[in-house]
Amino acid sequence: MHPLRVEKVVKQYGDKTAVNGISFEVSEGEIYGLLGANGAGKTTTMRMVLGLIYPDEGNILYNGKAYSKEQLRNLGYLPEERGLYPKVRISDQLIYLGQLRGMSKKDADQSLKKWLDRFDVPEYYNKRVEELSKGNQQKIGFIASVIHSPKIVILDEAFSGLDPVNVELLKSTVKELRDSGSSILFSTHRMEHVEELCRNITILHRSNVVLKGNLKDIKKQFPKERVILSTDKEVSGLESLKGVTQVTRHENGYEVGIASEAAGMDILHHALKQTNISRFEIKEPTLNEIFIKTVGGDSHE
Amino acid sequence: MNSFWTVVGFTLKNKFRGKAFLITTLIIALIITIGINLPYIFSQFNSGDKVTSIGYVQSAQSEGSATGDQLKAYFEAQEKPGVKLVSYEDKGSEAENEKQLKQAITDKDIKGYLAFGEMTDSGFPEMTYKSEKMLAFELTSSIQNGLQVIRQGTVLKDAGLSSEQLALLNAPIEIASVQISATEGAGNLGEGKTPEEQAVNMGLVYFIVILLFMAIMITGQMIASEITAEKSSRVMELLITSVSPLKQMFGKIVGMFLVGLIQITVYVLVIIINIKLPHNNEMLVKFNIDLSQIDPMLLMYSVLFYLTGYFLFATLFAAVGSIVSRTEDLGQAVLPITMLSLAGFYIAIFSISSPDSMLVKISSFIPFFSPFVMLLRLGLTDPPMWQVLGSIGLLLVTIYASVWVSAKIYRTGVLMYGKRPTFKELRKAMKAYKI
Repeated sequence: MHPLRVEKVVKQYGDKTAVNGISFEVSEGEIYGLLGANGAGKTTTMRMVLGLIYPDEGNILYNGKAYSKEQLRNLGYLPEERGLYPKVRISDQLIYLGQLRGMSKKDADQSLKKWLDRFDVPEYYNKRVEELSKGNQQKIGFIASVIHSPKIVILDEAFSGLDPVNVELLKSTVKELRDSGSSILFSTHRMEHVEELCRNITILHRSNVVLKGNLKDIKKQFPKERVILSTDKEVSGLESLKGVTQVTRHENGYEVGIASEAAGMDILHHALKQTNISRFEIKEPTLNEIFIKTVGGDSHE
Repeated sequence: MNSFWTVVGFTLKNKFRGKAFLITTLIIALIITIGINLPYIFSQFNSGDKVTSIGYVQSAQSEGSATGDQLKAYFEAQEKPGVKLVSYEDKGSEAENEKQLKQAITDKDIKGYLAFGEMTDSGFPEMTYKSEKMLAFELTSSIQNGLQVIRQGTVLKDAGLSSEQLALLNAPIEIASVQISATEGAGNLGEGKTPEEQAVNMGLVYFIVILLFMAIMITGQMIASEITAEKSSRVMELLITSVSPLKQMFGKIVGMFLVGLIQITVYVLVIIINIKLPHNNEMLVKFNIDLSQIDPMLLMYSVLFYLTGYFLFATLFAAVGSIVSRTEDLGQAVLPITMLSLAGFYIAIFSISSPDSMLVKISSFIPFFSPFVMLLRLGLTDPPMWQVLGSIGLLLVTIYASVWVSAKIYRTGVLMYGKRPTFKELRKAMKAYKI
């Protein structure tokens, strides 16, 4: 049984369909990627999962059960735009949020201290949010969403606006959460994070699901269209090879666009005749490329 | 229920932690203290000026000086004279006399002096009051009064009346006014209100209406701005995923209610302590105000109307706060509610001298006005019981409706960001969210 199962959910705002029949399930200890351009319906989907708004059609099941107040306590939510009281002490507001989700004051306090230690910022306990930098506010926002050790965590753009050090820190924390058995619904625009974290993804485009499934399987569906070639000397005549669509010269070699995987062998033979090869790779498409391909250039409407 | 009290507690705690709140409360308490003690402070400064000394020249030749002597005797005989006449010796010439009196003014022995002239038909000489002060109306009128009495005495002495008859002539005539109710009233059930009771009640109603208005407006505004702040800081998204919007809204309303109640209690305590101060107590006794005459029923009704009025306006403020995304837009958005409560407040305040007008009667049934206006009627007249109950009933029905509507708006509003939605957009959103 999946901790979170979304079945054919449809949501309409007036005449506009915000989400058109999305289905997915998140297993225990899995990070599920929900991707899409701005306005594709990610936030609406997340809000429905959170029970803030009800789907018009379809079901959302939590451990096989329908939504209820008790489920709230199993949910953790990090909204896209971090929400915290700017002028309230961090200890006060996080304990408050913990209590609202059914923790005792003592437990919430302990959990908060544990998390502050985890992020190496125990001195924030008595600070106000407005005193912190954006990155540190984000850490506090993250703590707010997981302080009650939820079974299902929903992270909307968890890493946006963070410096690389803090991204790594949060990323490793998310992985820890996953390894401890939480189911995480994860949305981001940074495809490299998805490739690193997610097993399964759904790509939404204009309210519709355009791509869904295991990340590895999805990648296999897309042809390998690039060859990375690093050589000692220059290689001439790559453009004239059959199946080569495009040749780009980089500092240490070439990036060659190919129509099919077979053209790769021709490139290798062609280059070997002229010089030594230090690197040859037929690249898998990146998720970034897949995303742009599926969603297309018209994502920013 | 548990998380409801958590919200209440958090609201309370935050308010009392905030410096702004404590400072405002202190400042208002200070203003109240000063306000109550102001009459006493003024009286301290004025006490020396209470009796005005007036000079005149006493001389054998002048006919006028006899009148001066009579006046002096008259004011000395008074229990609390406002004027005291001081006689000065005749220096012979008019110029010398004038000089002597002017010197007395400079020395602050007297405020001014009376100069007597030719005898007139009135039986008194021509009189001129000379002083440095421009308007001495009060003074001249009390001198006039004195002369009136003196003349009456002179005329009546000749008529040969007995002293009893004289006393009878001078006895003041009094009309006692007692306000009664022809039907069964709600106030103190046809007992009627004596002038003292009325005076106390009028002051009390004035005070309660102002307090009610302030409490509703201040706490209402606080509710709206806190909700908007939660929305604009996006903490709202975390809150509504943790606790149901209804619990959250009522937690906030009840929390703020307690904040307001504590604030009012502080103010009332400050007032009571100040009134109990000996010098203020004396003042009250002097003006014949007996606070024990306050009708307990009126106080009970005040509490009732405070509660109902607060919850009616608070729910509206919460609803408005929930649809506004930015604090800057809030002032404009709450304007209709502010106007509504202002209207009720002004009807009550300006009708305090005519509490039985048609306007008052009608508006005491209109839910948004009735907390103020019905209180006025209860305090100053004895409205029939059915009218009071009807008004409260209407108020309760409106509160119920407003809670229902506000809760819906709140549930929708907290999820809507961007520009303030129109009513149509709000309804559409309500449908979409299935609220």
